[in-house]
Amino acid sequence: MSRGKTYGGVGLVALALAVSACDDGGAKFDRNSQIGPNPVLPEQHQYLIPPIHVAEVVGWGPNETPTAPAGMRVQAFARDLNHPRNVALLPNGDVLVVESQGPNLDPITRPKNPIVSFVQKRATGQSSDTPKGPTNQITLLRDANGDGVPEQRSVLLAKLNSPFGVVFADNFLYVAATDAILRYPFTPGQSRITAAPVRLTELPGGPIDHHWTKSLTLSPDGKLLYATVGSNSNITENGMEAEKNRAAVWEVERSTGRSRVFGSGLRNPNSPSFYPGTNTLWVVVNERDELGPNLVPDYLTSVRDGGFYGWPYSYYGRHVDPRVQPQRPDLVARAIAPDYALSSHVAALGLTFYTGANLPQRYRGGAFIGEHGSWDRDELNGYKVAFVPFTNARPSGKVQDFLTGFVKDGKVRGRPVGVAVDRTGALLVADDTGNAVWRVSSAPATALAGRRP
Amino acid sequence: MKQELDPASPARHPDNPRSTARLFGHPLHPMLVPFPIVCFIGALLTDLAYLGSANIMWSNFSIWLITAGLVMGGLAALTGIIDYAGDKRVRAARPATPHMIINLSVFVIEIFNAFVHSRDGWTSVVPTGLTLSVISVLLLAVSAWLGGSLVYKHRVGVRS
Repeated sequence: MSRGKTYGGVGLVALALAVSACDDGGAKFDRNSQIGPNPVLPEQHQYLIPPIHVAEVVGWGPNETPTAPAGMRVQAFARDLNHPRNVALLPNGDVLVVESQGPNLDPITRPKNPIVSFVQKRATGQSSDTPKGPTNQITLLRDANGDGVPEQRSVLLAKLNSPFGVVFADNFLYVAATDAILRYPFTPGQSRITAAPVRLTELPGGPIDHHWTKSLTLSPDGKLLYATVGSNSNITENGMEAEKNRAAVWEVERSTGRSRVFGSGLRNPNSPSFYPGTNTLWVVVNERDELGPNLVPDYLTSVRDGGFYGWPYSYYGRHVDPRVQPQRPDLVARAIAPDYALSSHVAALGLTFYTGANLPQRYRGGAFIGEHGSWDRDELNGYKVAFVPFTNARPSGKVQDFLTGFVKDGKVRGRPVGVAVDRTGALLVADDTGNAVWRVSSAPATALAGRRP
Repeated sequence: MKQELDPASPARHPDNPRSTARLFGHPLHPMLVPFPIVCFIGALLTDLAYLGSANIMWSNFSIWLITAGLVMGGLAALTGIIDYAGDKRVRAARPATPHMIINLSVFVIEIFNAFVHSRDGWTSVVPTGLTLSVISVLLLAVSAWLGGSLVYKHRVGVRS
């Protein structure tokens, strides 16, 4: 029997190894310590089974809406959409809703892939009953009288290849599909586009297309487009060659389509936006997974021309990620720490600076951020529209909750993504899991008075 | 179900320990064990190739080999346990118990190894994954030797 004990000891050692690896690295962690310019970065943990928490998707009841701060009104600007991921405004006030789903091009390179993709699809409610209707299209909503109830709805463009970004300039509509920037001749007021597009610039699409949302913005002088291209993996597990020109913000010359990488090392950047009145480009970025529930915080940052922000080699400056080989100390040495941490795994995807006049004074000049919400930590994080106040064109204070209620009793009703300010100054929020666009405005004075005790 | 004595067999061992998990008289366990052995040794080799090259293809090979090794190793374990439980003469053979315990240890270690190999990037292999692969193969060498003894010396499953 003593021999049996010796052999059994081997199994015990393996078990001990598992238990030590399962320590989840801080259930008592203060999430507020990861808001702002100097987030607390706990020790890295690597797991046997990383923490995963995907809540059941229940959707919104017919009279349910998310919750805004007192004095605000939340309306369903549109419902019955199919995975609305982004919203954008046209000069005439028409609202474009980009309904989109990923291209599902991730190859099965490991047994893990189908499991993770199943989990992530469940998180956005895509596994059960989809497709409900056509997606990968842009729907135009016209609310001419500005009451928050569109009078007209039409499909502007259909059968796109996983679109996300859309920008209007000089009688052209630019659409960032997952594999190219398309340019359509377009006059505001049109409710349908039939003309064929010009492929202005090819973007990295397949054969692997992991982070597929390509977002767009226009430079203040109108000459350049900025497109975001997310990484092709969590942390280079599809090989470095798959990451060429990815994890970057591209600058594209609007007249020629000529492009270059403007900023890099940004794992999954989205919703590039110039701070109003400046030439500073800001972007929200989703950081890497599987280092712990509190690593690595997603962030909001300004992007410098030629700046390198760490991915994949490091995060928040020189915090080296041991999962990348060969390492690049030369790049780590010049990695720029981002400006403002937003807490870990909130999945910040939407960003817009508030330039309207409808919402109270305290929101003017600040940033609204659509946080799609976490799947890879035990306690859900994100699932809200957050607000970051700005002073002198820099973040100046803690994140505030703006639109909440996307999770109720541990079940998911919706997940916010793209945000935009409409013609009247109300905030529009695309909710891809709730299949709605929400509109938040200041409540009319009478409604407010009626609510007071 | 006493079997007829094969006239060609040496009658010096008329009462060999019998295999219970059989197909047409052939023990299944020896047919299945080559799969996990080859897969786990293969995973060690592809781990070493990854260590030397940092080419992610090799670590992908490793996790598929480990997964296949666990599936086939699970079947091998099942048939082995049936043989072990099915005849007390099998259990009485001295190498039988250590053979089983070592193999089950390898199985458990490779389950952990599969999870380690499912991490992303370099640390899916270096150092923990590679270490577990080395330990498994060393243990396999011992248990395979003992398994050989069970058949070639103790005549487990050999037709009487």
